[in-house]
Amino acid sequence: MKVKVFRWKAIGPLLVLLVIVAILWWIFADGIARHETQKVGTQMLGARVEIQDLHLDLPNGQVRMHGLTIASPHDAFKNLVQADEIVADVDVVPLTEKKIIINRIAANGLRFGTRRQTDGRVAAKSGDGIAGRVYAEAKQWASQFQVPVLQLATGKISIDSLDPRRLSTIPAAEALAARADSSRRAWQAAFDTLRLGPTLDSASATLERLRHARATDLGTINEARQTIDRLRRARDRVTNLEQGVKKGVAALNSGLAGLDSARRRDYAFARSLLKLPSLDAPAIGSALFAPGAIKPFERVLYWAQLARRYMPPGLLPRATTGTKRLRRAGEDVRFPRERALPRFLVRSAELSFLLRPTSTQPQRYAGRLSGLASDPALYGRPTLLGATGPQLAAGAMLNHVRGIPLDTAGATVGGIHFPAFTLPGVPLRLDPGAATTELGFNLNGDTIHARFAIHSTNVRWNRDSGFASSQIGDLIWRAVSGIANLQLEARVSGELHHPQFAVRSNLDQAIASRLRAVLGEQVAVAEQQMRARVDAWINDKAGPVRTRVTDVQSQAETQVAQQRARVDELQRALEQRLRDMLGGIRLP
Amino acid sequence: MFALLKLIQSLLGALHSEGTPGQLAAGIALGSILGLTPLVNLHNAVVFAALVLLNVSFAGGMLGWAVFVPIGFLLDPLFDWIGHTLLFTPAFTPFFTSLYNMPIVPLTNFNNTVVLGSLVFAVLFAIPLFFAARYGVVRYRATIAERVAQSRWYRAVTASKFYNVYRMFRP
Repeated sequence: MKVKVFRWKAIGPLLVLLVIVAILWWIFADGIARHETQKVGTQMLGARVEIQDLHLDLPNGQVRMHGLTIASPHDAFKNLVQADEIVADVDVVPLTEKKIIINRIAANGLRFGTRRQTDGRVAAKSGDGIAGRVYAEAKQWASQFQVPVLQLATGKISIDSLDPRRLSTIPAAEALAARADSSRRAWQAAFDTLRLGPTLDSASATLERLRHARATDLGTINEARQTIDRLRRARDRVTNLEQGVKKGVAALNSGLAGLDSARRRDYAFARSLLKLPSLDAPAIGSALFAPGAIKPFERVLYWAQLARRYMPPGLLPRATTGTKRLRRAGEDVRFPRERALPRFLVRSAELSFLLRPTSTQPQRYAGRLSGLASDPALYGRPTLLGATGPQLAAGAMLNHVRGIPLDTAGATVGGIHFPAFTLPGVPLRLDPGAATTELGFNLNGDTIHARFAIHSTNVRWNRDSGFASSQIGDLIWRAVSGIANLQLEARVSGELHHPQFAVRSNLDQAIASRLRAVLGEQVAVAEQQMRARVDAWINDKAGPVRTRVTDVQSQAETQVAQQRARVDELQRALEQRLRDMLGGIRLP
Repeated sequence: MFALLKLIQSLLGALHSEGTPGQLAAGIALGSILGLTPLVNLHNAVVFAALVLLNVSFAGGMLGWAVFVPIGFLLDPLFDWIGHTLLFTPAFTPFFTSLYNMPIVPLTNFNNTVVLGSLVFAVLFAIPLFFAARYGVVRYRATIAERVAQSRWYRAVTASKFYNVYRMFRP
């Protein structure tokens, strides 16, 4: 029997199925597109993307969104941007190649930094995907600038935490004492093995006999000459011992010098335990403002690095994390081709936005974005962003067209109300009021040069009541409470993996000079007390050791010198008596 | 429970259908492609259309799909590796670049490591699976099929209304 290959009767149900799918698409396309846009946007930006309403009008090549909200990837309950309406003119034909080419976007009613009810951070919490990795890298980068907080909490200068067991001089002294005892024993043993007593006694007896002998008494003369030889050998042994003692004494002296160095180290260690406030202006500036000043750089770096991952230079195949699904997401690999369209391109976008939307007179601004492309090398032009307004001038360029990417941004925004914040380590809250903010950023390859500055002329200070009784609290309050303007500048420069970070402000010098005036004496007294306490502990141990070492040295040296002198004296006497007896005659 | 019952029904229905062992094995092989690869992809629409339009066992297809879905989940790391290796092999780059810049083809998500890896694996695996399934069906029908068909529980299973639905699509 011949089996038919095709099941022709199934064409009908299949067509019905296709019609059903088409109808479902027609009904749910907007919802699916909205859901997918939210999902992909959230995954890419590392922050929740929400869209109230999205309508696809593919015959006219138009996508219309209402109520777009992009949460901040860094702040839990803040939005990065909200838009009332976004209309995008899309090229339909490239959609068949899965390429999204947007000729023009008109975005109206943009608002920045608005509050939200729920935590919209995704990358910060999950750490997944490219955004998660970039977030972690930026966080790691910023964490290298951890500056010690100014230790002014109560104004006390305390050395209570100094533990004598942690001083290095005491074990060094004990070790030196053991070495001195060991040296003494070794020298005594060496001295005993010289056996000088019999030699010297024999030499004395020979000398006595020689004094009563005549020149013809050859036996006595010969005995005297042999004795002289024995004395010479004994002298050599004493000389050897003397050299050994000298080396040992030098080693013990070096140990004594080591005790002095250990004492200096102990002073430094004890000083590090003192909660001494820094008196240098740059250190004060860093301690006060560095934790806050690094954040703008961290955020800009996050966006710049994210742009580099999604808009890589060159035309080599590149992988990005695939879209999340029930199965493993895997990686999507892009294969850009010269003279082809990039995977994603926004040719031009016109932005209209409000600053201070809640005030009675919100200010309307305009901006323009062009050349946002997933494969900049294909588009051939950098991404440009510009915005201007009454108190705003901002511009950015992402040039990933060539092998080494160059990202630059600059912005000056006036009239920004920063929230009041507590200065770390000092009993003050600073309300900068309406301030002018400047940001300059240049990331050329892996070299960063960035500057962030705040200028305010109506700063307000609030005192933290918890420090009411603190002397240093009073001091700092008096130093800064009269200062009405704030000039703060932070700079980052150098290789991205190891940059220099500097913060300075007009408050640094004011606080430093006042601290120096009042705390200088207090610091000196505290240091003196600390040295006295260290000395008391060390002297108990090191003093006797020093004496013992000196005793051992002098005892050994004296013993050697005495025996050497006795040997020399007897040798000289014997030689003299022989010369007197023989009158210059040399005997064979 | 429902899924298990449905699986048993599919299995029994397919094994005792009037289709040839080859039709049943081809259905299982096509169904395995649906199960092994991520479902919502354009290539699976083609596979599904083949399952419907070709005179193969639809029940076998559903059976293959049901059996190979969990296996697909388990083998995802392997598929990821296969896809990654293929997509980053320099010799294939011009080919993939052409596909990537063609109309329609990119909609298959072939440039995803798991999709490509699983599809290549599933297509290669379908060939031995076809022969193994055909042999298994032949042996089953020659040995215990009759006794199973006479059993009380077989009649209970096949009497349910799901079986009636299945009969609409039997080869």
